[in-house]
Amino acid sequence: MSIFEYNGSALVAMVGKECFAIASDRRLGVQLQTIATDFQRIFKIHDRLFIGLSGLATDAQTLYQRLVFRHKLYQLREERDMKPETFASLVSALLYEKRFGPYFCQPVIAGLSDENKPFICTMDSIGAKELAKDFVVAGTASESLYGACEAMFKENMEPEELFETVSQALLSSVDRDCLSGWGGHVYVVTPTEVRERILKGRMD
Amino acid sequence: MKLDTSGLESTAPLFRASSELLDGFSTAPSFDLPTTTDFDGFVKEAIQMVKPAKGTTTLAFIFKEGVMVAADSRASMGGYISSQSVKKIIEINPYMLGTMAGGAADCQFWHRNLGIKCRLHELANKRRISVTGASKLLANILYSYRGMGLSVGTMIAGWDETGPGLYYVDSEGGRLKGTRFSVGSGSPYAYGVLDNGYRYDMSVEEAAELARRAIYHATFRDGASGGVASVYHVGPDGWKKLSGDDVGELHYKYYPVVPNTVEQEMVEVSGA
Amino acid sequence: MGDSQYSFSLTTFSPSGKLVQIEHALTAVGSGQTSLGIKAANGVVIATEKKLPSILVDEASVQKIQLLTPNIGVVYSGMGPDFRVLVRKSRKQAEQYHRLYKEPIPVTQLVRETAAVMQEFTQSGGVRPFGVSLLVAGFDDKGPQLYQVDPSGSYFSWKASAMGKNVSNAKAFLEKRYTDDMELDDAVHTAILTLKEGFEGQISGKNIEIGIIGSDKKFRVLAPEEIDDYLREVE
Repeated sequence: MSIFEYNGSALVAMVGKECFAIASDRRLGVQLQTIATDFQRIFKIHDRLFIGLSGLATDAQTLYQRLVFRHKLYQLREERDMKPETFASLVSALLYEKRFGPYFCQPVIAGLSDENKPFICTMDSIGAKELAKDFVVAGTASESLYGACEAMFKENMEPEELFETVSQALLSSVDRDCLSGWGGHVYVVTPTEVRERILKGRMD
Repeated sequence: MKLDTSGLESTAPLFRASSELLDGFSTAPSFDLPTTTDFDGFVKEAIQMVKPAKGTTTLAFIFKEGVMVAADSRASMGGYISSQSVKKIIEINPYMLGTMAGGAADCQFWHRNLGIKCRLHELANKRRISVTGASKLLANILYSYRGMGLSVGTMIAGWDETGPGLYYVDSEGGRLKGTRFSVGSGSPYAYGVLDNGYRYDMSVEEAAELARRAIYHATFRDGASGGVASVYHVGPDGWKKLSGDDVGELHYKYYPVVPNTVEQEMVEVSGA
Repeated sequence: MGDSQYSFSLTTFSPSGKLVQIEHALTAVGSGQTSLGIKAANGVVIATEKKLPSILVDEASVQKIQLLTPNIGVVYSGMGPDFRVLVRKSRKQAEQYHRLYKEPIPVTQLVRETAAVMQEFTQSGGVRPFGVSLLVAGFDDKGPQLYQVDPSGSYFSWKASAMGKNVSNAKAFLEKRYTDDMELDDAVHTAILTLKEGFEGQISGKNIEIGIIGSDKKFRVLAPEEIDDYLREVE
């Protein structure tokens, strides 16, 4: 079994009209055993920039701490928040530093630029960036998520519809995955606000 | 002078001549074996290829009113959930149930095979086979295929002339008589609930609820168990299905969500 | 020795609270050729004299204004070789920033990093301070910017500044001529006039250098012919 699947995870980010959504499941497992159903995989970097870390939970937490550290230094030095693109490059550089002993994580980055243009991207565990215009997925339920998102995505969705779409895609996808699910966590970010919601889901 | 070698011949044929009447019934079905010099290695590889669905939770226990049998309904292939509606409690005959854990095909085939044998026994002896007898028939067959890759973990539960009967039988050749069993990847969780709540003098309702709860908790903790919690009861008049609850709903019945500022219900997608 | 009994070590303060080696470095800058910079409303200009030791030196082989990144240029007064070291370190810093963030380094960041290097050379063992002051001209998301960095490692943002032999005259001249709404072309003219003030001999496209950056965010060093055109406009 792959170490990426040790804890189980499902992550998705989707673009809307001047907004984006990023969502994850809430399970932390050890292989098939469910340990917790309130696990956090999505982290806020600043008000309009989020990162989700799928894969090995311990690496996700460590990587998150390093990223926060680097971003805080950047904020102090440059007296500004990082642009999503800049942050993605930083994550990529940090991951490649560990080319021969990687963090077992696949990040999903979603942010809103100063011009309210949504940005989403994902990368592999050693930092190969993959930018997308519509949606990105990661985790043990990624295949199902690809299918669900491919079928449900529409361009230029408003925040409310985007929330519904991302939520339905997430919930239906994790229902086909043993290692993820047990509820969902969704953030919808617009130029003016961040809406955070917990989804009820099948608890099996 | 020619030697009389007739004494060297076998008196009985080496293989019993096939009789149409008995063919396929009285003997265990025979299967083609692979033509290979390394049989063990071949079997090992074959088992990997047709890797059986492992994730399951099944349980059964004897109590005052008979036997309670329950199971989940998930079938998985690795991490992928291939079905949420698998019938894991197999109805062998109106008085006997078998549970399914391990390879789905192996369980289904050998239970069906066991059903045939039980019926033949009934016809030959004018009385139903005992649970003890039925379970031994199955155990003997499984033992004859030991090491060839069969994957079966089953409980035979039923009611016979001696009352309720419950046996655990597996493809390694094991056969155990008992009052409380759980089989499958979710069994440790089910045992926890079962052992904690079990009393011999439970009512049917209490026993059914215990079985349901045990399955539910197993589906919650075990990633490979889920779907529907089916509960069967076997009494003097045979088995009866008591319930089949979607554990997705069962969870919120057992643990209702307290309204919270952050949590909220989902609504339909507009125009979907 | 001789100047001060504390000049034996650049990291030892004199009783009056000075690091005399840094003072000496500033003296080296003060006796260097004049350089100046002006921040206009839509760009920045930096300029310098280019007096060569002999008419036999090929003036095209000397470039006193250098690019650090496509949108940041720098000029110096003081010791040319020290300047080259700083340019090399600054360019490396800019590239490292770009490699990490895939984004051009902001002017303030590059100036700070360069200043940090210069500071380090006032405190480290076995080295001496840089005998140069820098004028850094850049244009980024925060608009046109002009910085002066001194051997001590201190740096300030300027609207217009000068350094080298003619500092006081040049600064006085700039104070008189500077306006906030100045356009880049006016700034170039003012820069030429300021240089001309203290120039010994005939000014031409071959004995001064001018670097400009406008809102296109492309820093470039003017060719002698372009400078000559400006010179004609000024006259």
